[in-house]
Amino acid sequence: MLTYLLRRLLLMIPTLLGITILVFTVMAMSPGGISAQTLIGGTDMKPQEKQALLNYYNKRYGLDKPAPVQYLRWLNNVSPIGFTIDEQGNRGEFSFSKGMDLGTSFQYGRPVSDILAERIPITLLLNLVTIPFTYLIAIFVGMKSAANRGGSFDVGMGMSMLALWSIPTMLAGVLLLGFFGNVQHFQWFPTAGISSREAQDMPFLPHWEQTGFVRGFLLDRVWHLILPVICLSYGSFAALAKLTRTSILENLNSDYARTARAKGLAEHDVLWRHVFRNSLLPLITISAGLLPSLLAGSLIVENIFSINGMGQLAVEAVKGRDRELVLSITWVSGFLTLIGYLIADFCYTLADPRVSYD
Amino acid sequence: MTETTVSRESFSAHIWRKTLDGVGVKVGLAWIALLVFAAVFAPFLANSMPLLISKDGIISAPVLRYLSVEDAWVLATFFIALAVYRLRLGSGKRILLFLLGSAVAALLVNMFLKPPVLVIYDDFRTITYTDVDWRIMPPIPYAPTDYLRDLGSKGLEAPFKTEGHTHLMGTEENGADVLSRMIHACRISLSIGLIASGIALFIGVIVGGLMGYFSGIVDMLGMRLVEIFEDIPTLFLLLTFVAFFGRSLYMMMVIIGITGWSGYARYVRQEFLKLRKQDYVQAAVASGLPLSSILFRHMLPNGVAPLLVAVSFGVAGAILSEATLSFLGLGVVDAPSWGQMLDQAVKSSTFNWWMAAFPGGAIFMTVFSYNLIGEAFRDAIDPQLSRKAGVN
Repeated sequence: MLTYLLRRLLLMIPTLLGITILVFTVMAMSPGGISAQTLIGGTDMKPQEKQALLNYYNKRYGLDKPAPVQYLRWLNNVSPIGFTIDEQGNRGEFSFSKGMDLGTSFQYGRPVSDILAERIPITLLLNLVTIPFTYLIAIFVGMKSAANRGGSFDVGMGMSMLALWSIPTMLAGVLLLGFFGNVQHFQWFPTAGISSREAQDMPFLPHWEQTGFVRGFLLDRVWHLILPVICLSYGSFAALAKLTRTSILENLNSDYARTARAKGLAEHDVLWRHVFRNSLLPLITISAGLLPSLLAGSLIVENIFSINGMGQLAVEAVKGRDRELVLSITWVSGFLTLIGYLIADFCYTLADPRVSYD
Repeated sequence: MTETTVSRESFSAHIWRKTLDGVGVKVGLAWIALLVFAAVFAPFLANSMPLLISKDGIISAPVLRYLSVEDAWVLATFFIALAVYRLRLGSGKRILLFLLGSAVAALLVNMFLKPPVLVIYDDFRTITYTDVDWRIMPPIPYAPTDYLRDLGSKGLEAPFKTEGHTHLMGTEENGADVLSRMIHACRISLSIGLIASGIALFIGVIVGGLMGYFSGIVDMLGMRLVEIFEDIPTLFLLLTFVAFFGRSLYMMMVIIGITGWSGYARYVRQEFLKLRKQDYVQAAVASGLPLSSILFRHMLPNGVAPLLVAVSFGVAGAILSEATLSFLGLGVVDAPSWGQMLDQAVKSSTFNWWMAAFPGGAIFMTVFSYNLIGEAFRDAIDPQLSRKAGVN
């Protein structure tokens, strides 16, 4: 198992390298290259200031060097092992403990690692709340449709799940926000962010006070998350429900299910104790692919609901042509995706003892 | 004794018949047909200028005079496609003829069509155009960029709430008719969907085909490439491409195509891995056929069926991508598109449901239609799979 884990982790490295090379190439191939794109702003600066900034960037990032050199330089900064670089941009000796330096965002003027450390937990929270929710609904609907296959519930759900799957996230987000968050209609939910300002001073759990009910930090957070989570989840549970149904039907017609029925088990037991566990396998496989799609989904959802997560950061970084930020977001999201695949493979061994990776 | 009947139906005809069986797919095809109709005849359906007027006994058609190069080319291509479809030729020749025809049409239109550079929509509501014997207006008498200044339009009017001029789906902030903008936006959605997934298919088939045919080291390298493209959230890759390059319609098509090929490559690779050791492929190799012939003439037709299913889902995905990009403010700037209209709905100070619901609904219907078609297609092609899925 350990060797397998090690191999998988080592295989991640070329993929991550490839991802960053791809994105770097896109940026380098753009009109004017990275250097021009970075210096687009600052038109209100004095010439000497601008020249000073240019000199600083050139020294810091080697923007006057050809693109492959720039990439290697960036890679050297980011990788935990590599050459040390001193203040003047001269190469020192090879070191194994120089640490990772993600660089400074051009746009915010802050270290990229700080910005990411702020934003990643928010997106992860959003996604980790969404995944169990998605699976619960998907399994419920899938089981129910498979159990009375061909019935009105099955047919209706089959159609409406395909319809749900086709609703663009942005339409759902805009309509939900417009009708349930807006003053013009029902103002049931907050319109932006993941907690209100006063929630910082509240105790964690909801409770009663003299002044009345205090919703507490937790409830406030839940209240803010409802609409975004609905937006993020419906598309994936629609796809998952179809998959669950297929998988359960397949197993219900299999030999072992027939044997279980033949020995006199109740249909309920056949479904839940025998078929259910086996039907989980494709659901686990698909969960790996779910994470990238959720990350992409949070890009839209975070923009609609003004949540300061990775998704919004990604759009801001790309619009601001912020090289360091774009590259870091790229490899971090790629890394998260790969970790997602790895976790899915592990869950696979848990659900199916026949699978082993040795 | 039962009589055996031999079906003379070809495989493709059989698939067609089975695909068209369901209700859902008919709804889907009907919607797509409606979109095609709207896209081709957009200037005749929603425009501020009269289709035909008769003034002092002289009949003229202002719409034709103001027809842009693009409009004319789309019209010409549509009729060429119809004509080619009616011809009794092989499909390869038909496609070639169609491409040739549309290229010639593009050339002719560019050479001979000189529409007036400046279009002032207010003029069509002045006495020169209204004081006539008779005139025929388009069904929606507002152009997508006609902001109705002379009519005193305040913008953001709900459907049917305006005085003096009716807007079936209301107006947007600047006062342009929402329905008219939607009709003109059909073109972007349809063309992006088809061309972007065409480009993706092209790249995917070549990469996947080479991977599957050679296997071994080529396969391994290719799979890494596929993984790289799959592990970056597609939307993010798209954003990066669009932000660092231009924002023209053609650029968007290419970009959506470039970022979307990995799924096709996987499909083709899987099929080709199965096929590469088959006798007929070995025979083709042994008779010294060139690689392109082996790959695309002999192997591809046998692995094309599941690919077509992926394509119809891919078109839906491409349309969604364009809408999302436009929604995030990174779409085509000079022409209305559904995603951009949705973006406008969010950006405006108040929430106006008609600005979100109608364009969003159009995106939904289009994506839903392509998904329905894809689903029906899959069930027809792979009866075993669909039986397992409990469809029939």
